[in-house]
Amino acid sequence: MRTSGPSSIAIDALRCRLGEREVICGIDLLLQDRRIGILGRNGSGKSTLARAMAGLIDPASGRVTIDGADIARDRRAALAKVGILFQNPEHQIIFPTVLEEVRFGLEQMGHPKPEAARRARAALKRFGRGDWGGRSTAALSQGQKHLLCLISLLAMEPAVLILDEPFSGLDIPTERALRRVLASYPGTLVQITHDPQVVAGYERVLWIEAGGLRADGPPGQVIPDYLAEMTAEGADAFADL
Amino acid sequence: MLSLTSEIRTPFHAVPAGAKLAALAVLSVATFSISAPALMLLPLTGTALLYLCGGLRFARAGLRALRPLWPFLALLAIWHGLSRDLGNGALLGGRLLSTVALANLVTMTTRLEDMIAMMSRILAPLAWLGVRPGRIAFAIGLVLRLTPVLLDRGRQLSMSWRARARRRRPGWQIVLPLCLSALDDADHIAEAVRARGGIPD
Repeated sequence: MRTSGPSSIAIDALRCRLGEREVICGIDLLLQDRRIGILGRNGSGKSTLARAMAGLIDPASGRVTIDGADIARDRRAALAKVGILFQNPEHQIIFPTVLEEVRFGLEQMGHPKPEAARRARAALKRFGRGDWGGRSTAALSQGQKHLLCLISLLAMEPAVLILDEPFSGLDIPTERALRRVLASYPGTLVQITHDPQVVAGYERVLWIEAGGLRADGPPGQVIPDYLAEMTAEGADAFADL
Repeated sequence: MLSLTSEIRTPFHAVPAGAKLAALAVLSVATFSISAPALMLLPLTGTALLYLCGGLRFARAGLRALRPLWPFLALLAIWHGLSRDLGNGALLGGRLLSTVALANLVTMTTRLEDMIAMMSRILAPLAWLGVRPGRIAFAIGLVLRLTPVLLDRGRQLSMSWRARARRRRPGWQIVLPLCLSALDDADHIAEAVRARGGIPD
């Protein structure tokens, strides 16, 4: 893959609204690490932040740039810069057959159809799934669907890959296999999660709370505070769902 | 009738989509011009033989795909039985059965992509009117992708109904959640399309 140094993700005075509710209320960040974890409880705004970082939602104000490209406006540049793996593969798969699914993003990046198909087949082969091309996406197992979504994104070789709690509900060996695939990914990984264990080995961890940045630092510093607070609240968890 | 491409390889898989569609058109017209009930056996046995070329397992899958047709055939038989016009009934039924079976055969042995590519070629002149054939092809793909998802969602909802209701058959109450979840799916798919560059032209 072409990524050399880590990418630079710049978030300037970002505010996002879902209907009337302000979900992200002013976040400023400059991210230049290869492995970034975003921690937060349900409803903290971490998924919205992920969507804004992938350019999927238009911010109410402020902006996100990756290596200088405004990813909400310049979608063509964004395709090479950032990919996002959704929580539920069912929400990500657009096409009825595997090859079409992998090829789609490559065509959108401007590769002519035969070249896109060649790259898509190569990507499938790289993960030992060379025979999947003609298969129906509906007939894949849950783990296979997750893998297909990951292959479709990795085929596009984005500089930044955002993972929105992607592997919840998978069995342990399947999740481990998928995590191994991700570990070898040379670009920047941004992992959204509520589980600190997943990002314990990362370089930098952000803790998002009530739409703002609560803490930011190496995991050894942020995770203990996060865990302490989550455990303390656990006694009265239903008070604030 | 949405029977998808068969995984069982047949000699027809190798025939180009255009040729198969053209043959389907010619054979359908020929079938419709048959006027004697006895002659209807010709296209029916012909179609059966074509299915058998793909092997017994393939033929059985083909027969299963025809299942939605039986009520219509039964209706024809009852109506024409009552009006003492069974000859005509057999003629109509035979036409229906053989043409739908042939069309299914084309669907079962043609990759969806080839079919859509063919459609795009046929629709290409519409570009003059401002219609973008690529979008139509994209929409067809979406329908085929999401139909099984929607059916599955319906099954899930009736299952969760059953888990907490005394009556086993789900009521009309699941219609609204089904619609809402379809709209929700549409939002998610729109997001996925945007994440990878938007709808192609």
